[in-house]
Amino acid sequence: MIVATDAGVRFFFDRHRRVVTSTAARVRRGCSTSWGIRNVNFAIGSEGVALLGPSGSGKTSLLRLIAGVYVADEGTLTANGRIATLLSTQAGLFSLLTGRENALHLGVLAGLSRRQARAALEEVKRVSDLGDYFERPVGSYSLGMRARLGLAVANQISPQILVLDEVHEALDHQFRNYLEEQVHEIIKAGGAVVAAGHDHPMLARLCTRAIHLDHGRVVADGRFEDVRREYLASVGG
Amino acid sequence: MTLTVSDLRVRYGRGFLLPVRWLFDPFILVGVYLVLVSIVLNKPGEAPGLSIACTVVPFQLVTAAVANAMITIAVRGPIITNMNFRRTLIPLSSVFTESASFVASFTVIVTMMVVYGVGPTVALVWLILLVPLTVILATAFAYPAAIFGVWFIELRSFGQSFVRILFFLGPGLVPLSQTSSRASDLLKLNPLTGLFEAYRNVFLYGQSPAAWQLLIPLAFSIVLLSAIVPLYNHEQRELAKLLG
Repeated sequence: MIVATDAGVRFFFDRHRRVVTSTAARVRRGCSTSWGIRNVNFAIGSEGVALLGPSGSGKTSLLRLIAGVYVADEGTLTANGRIATLLSTQAGLFSLLTGRENALHLGVLAGLSRRQARAALEEVKRVSDLGDYFERPVGSYSLGMRARLGLAVANQISPQILVLDEVHEALDHQFRNYLEEQVHEIIKAGGAVVAAGHDHPMLARLCTRAIHLDHGRVVADGRFEDVRREYLASVGG
Repeated sequence: MTLTVSDLRVRYGRGFLLPVRWLFDPFILVGVYLVLVSIVLNKPGEAPGLSIACTVVPFQLVTAAVANAMITIAVRGPIITNMNFRRTLIPLSSVFTESASFVASFTVIVTMMVVYGVGPTVALVWLILLVPLTVILATAFAYPAAIFGVWFIELRSFGQSFVRILFFLGPGLVPLSQTSSRASDLLKLNPLTGLFEAYRNVFLYGQSPAAWQLLIPLAFSIVLLSAIVPLYNHEQRELAKLLG
C-alpha cells in the first residue's frame, strides 16, 4: 500500500538559512542543502504504523511525503489509495471561513465533487459535534475543535490511507475514542494509518507497528512496543 | 471554483458592503487621475473621465491579480502543507477571485458614459473578446507574480510597483493619439497599451479595436504563459517546503 525505496527529501537554504526552492538555490549564491529524510525504506500494508523520534528527526517530512505534500528528491515513495491527511491542528482550515465553508472547501480539494461535498456537510456537522460553532468562523475554534472538524472532513472521503501528525493529541477523550474506531475501521477494510506524535499511549491504541526515525533515517522498525522501548532507551527515557 | 469561492470570502469578507469594497478602488483611482490629467497636466482630451475609466478598469484586474497572486501561496499555506491537490490552479484562482470585482467595476465605465453623454454602440460586441483577453493577460501576469512572491518575499512591494509602472508607461492617463509618434511606437510594446486603447475604442469612440490592440496583449500572454507555467509547475512541487 505504501512503499518507500531509498526515499529522500532535501531542503535548500539561502545564506540567511531560509528555505528556498531548488531552482532559487541554483541562481542564488551561498545556498546550502540538508536532507529532511534520506535512504528511507519500508513497506506498509494494512496496519497502523507509528513514527517515533525526537523533534526534527524527520517524522513530519516523512508524513508529508506519504501524503503527497512533498515529492521525493531521491528514491521513490508510492502510496496507493485515497489519502486523508491531518498534518497540523490547522488541518488546512481558513480562520475567516465558517466550519461549513471549510468543510465544503476541503472536501472538494480532497477529491469529492462539489455536490458530494455539499451532501456530506450535515454528516460532517454531526460527526464533528460542533453544534452552532459549525456556522461560525474557524478562527473562534479551539485546537481540539479544529482537529475534530479536520477529522470529520477527512472521514468523508472514506480514506484508505490516513496520515496523522500529532493532531490526535489535541482531541478530547470522547473524540479520541471516535478516532480510534475510525482507525480500526480503515485497517479492517484493508487500509493503512500512519501517525506521528509523542503521546505513546494514544499511538499504542492506534498502531501495532512503529518506525523510529533519527536525523532523517530509519533506525528501527518493528512491533510498536519493541521500537518504543528502543527509542526511549536511545533518548534516556 | 472552490479555491476562488474561498478566496473571495477570505479576501473580501461577506455582507452588503462587498460591492462597495469592489468599487471603491476604481472610483477613487478614476477621480484622482481625472484631477491629475484635467487640472495638473491640463490635458483633458475627449471625455477624460471615461477615457481614464477605460484604462483603470482593465488595469485593476491586472494589478489586483498580481497583488493576490504574490501572496496567494502564503495565504493557502495551511492547505498546501496539509494535503495534496492541484496547486497549478492557485494563481488562476487569484485571477478569478479578482474577476468578480473586475466585472463589478464596469459600473465605473457606465457611470462615466452617462456623465459624458456617450451612448452605447454596436462596438460593445467586442467585449466578448476583450473581457476574456483581459483575464488571459491578468493570468499571464499572475503566474510569474506567484513565483516572484515566493522567491522574493521581501520584494513583493516592488513587484506591485513594476505593474503600476506599466500603467504609466502606457496610455493609462492620456490616449495614444495624444502622444508623439515615436513615443506611440514604443508604448505599443507595452502589452497594456493595446488593451487600454481597445477599451477606449469600444466604449469612448464606438469603433472596433485595431488588430494590434488585441494581438499584442494576446501574443505577450501566450509567450509569458508558455515560459512561466512550466517553471511554476516545477516550483509548486516544493512550495510546501517553503511554508514550513
